[in-house]
Amino acid sequence: MIEEKCQNYDDNELVALSRNDSQYFYCLMKRYEEKLSNYVKRFTYLADEDIADIVQESFISAYQHLNDCDCKLKFSSWMYRIVHNQAINFMKKNKQSVKIDVENYDEFVDWLVADTDIEKETIIKHQNDDIKEIIEKLKPIYKEVLVLKFFEDKDYQEISDILQKPMGTVATLLSRAKIQFKKIYEKEKKY
Amino acid sequence: MKKKKSISELTLKTITKKQIKPIPRWEFMAKNWTLWAGIITSLVVLIIGLGLVIFGVIDNIISPYFWLIIAVVFFGLSYFLFQKTKRAYNFPKWQVVLVISIIGLIIGGVVFRSGLAKRIDLGLETKLPYYRQMAPMKIATWTNPEAGYLSGEIVRIDKNSFEIKDFEGKVWTITGTPLIRGRVSKIVGEEIKLIGLQIDENTFESTEIRPWMGRGQNMMKENY
Repeated sequence: MIEEKCQNYDDNELVALSRNDSQYFYCLMKRYEEKLSNYVKRFTYLADEDIADIVQESFISAYQHLNDCDCKLKFSSWMYRIVHNQAINFMKKNKQSVKIDVENYDEFVDWLVADTDIEKETIIKHQNDDIKEIIEKLKPIYKEVLVLKFFEDKDYQEISDILQKPMGTVATLLSRAKIQFKKIYEKEKKY
Repeated sequence: MKKKKSISELTLKTITKKQIKPIPRWEFMAKNWTLWAGIITSLVVLIIGLGLVIFGVIDNIISPYFWLIIAVVFFGLSYFLFQKTKRAYNFPKWQVVLVISIIGLIIGGVVFRSGLAKRIDLGLETKLPYYRQMAPMKIATWTNPEAGYLSGEIVRIDKNSFEIKDFEGKVWTITGTPLIRGRVSKIVGEEIKLIGLQIDENTFESTEIRPWMGRGQNMMKENY
């Protein structure tokens, strides 16, 4: 019932309504539950129960901070930021490192081969596992920015808002991630 | 079989059961205002600090180290507090450092040039106990007769000359017709600074007399 009502509202309208009625917040949660769970899974590789805990804690934190919601940002960026920080805290607490669990590497491979001497065909010939193995060796911050760019399809502004870093830094991180990927690739001569 | 509840359903249940409510807007606004008040206060202290550092270095009257420490501490505090604001992440760290430095130096320079730094120094000396011990006057600068600077207490006044005892205890005869700058009464017991020329071992021809800032009571004559 409430879900039908919510269809007529955008995220920011739902945020405003949620301040007085938690039922509307349920609609927001429904909208983002799957996206956020997938996002946490992609960069933490945690068990489903842990992911559910992180997302639930993030929703509760977001609900408590609704009056502090920076609505000049996209609600999704604000929500991703909360869940990102919650996941990072969870991993720090449990002494785990950022891992990547992704399925579709197409866009990532296109980006990777541009301006490098790594040939697309050689990469494609090999399994995603090999790419994943190299990504695993990158610095955590590089992995985070790669996940947001290529597997969550976020633009620079959104990544900047989620990771709370200047846009220029986001671009630098992506470029450094590529350089580090290439270094590891050449060192291991995987292909 | 009972259907497993979604994260959204579980969260809504928790929110309802624990009666979790959004934190009131005024709390965030109060935090935000406090933060900005802290930033502005830190910047003001940084500007005053830099103004007095410039005053200490250029006028060479007080030791600038106390104010340098104040400036560094409040520079760090301004930076730290600014980083806590919502949109701080949009600015690269070097830009924030540069902007704070420019604001501090330009307005600090104005504080010095306008004479406010000097007035603050004098004001603090009378109102803040131990201030002069933290920002001592540079007596060394004014105990250098070879270079034309001398200071001390007037101990005797004659018709065409007078005598002062410098802060090392040596008595000098002061000759010449000096220009008097500031509030100098030229009475026995008054502490003054002199600019001029050393004539011999005990004689100094003065071209200018200035009052000794701080009127003597709280000066640090030992540590410089």
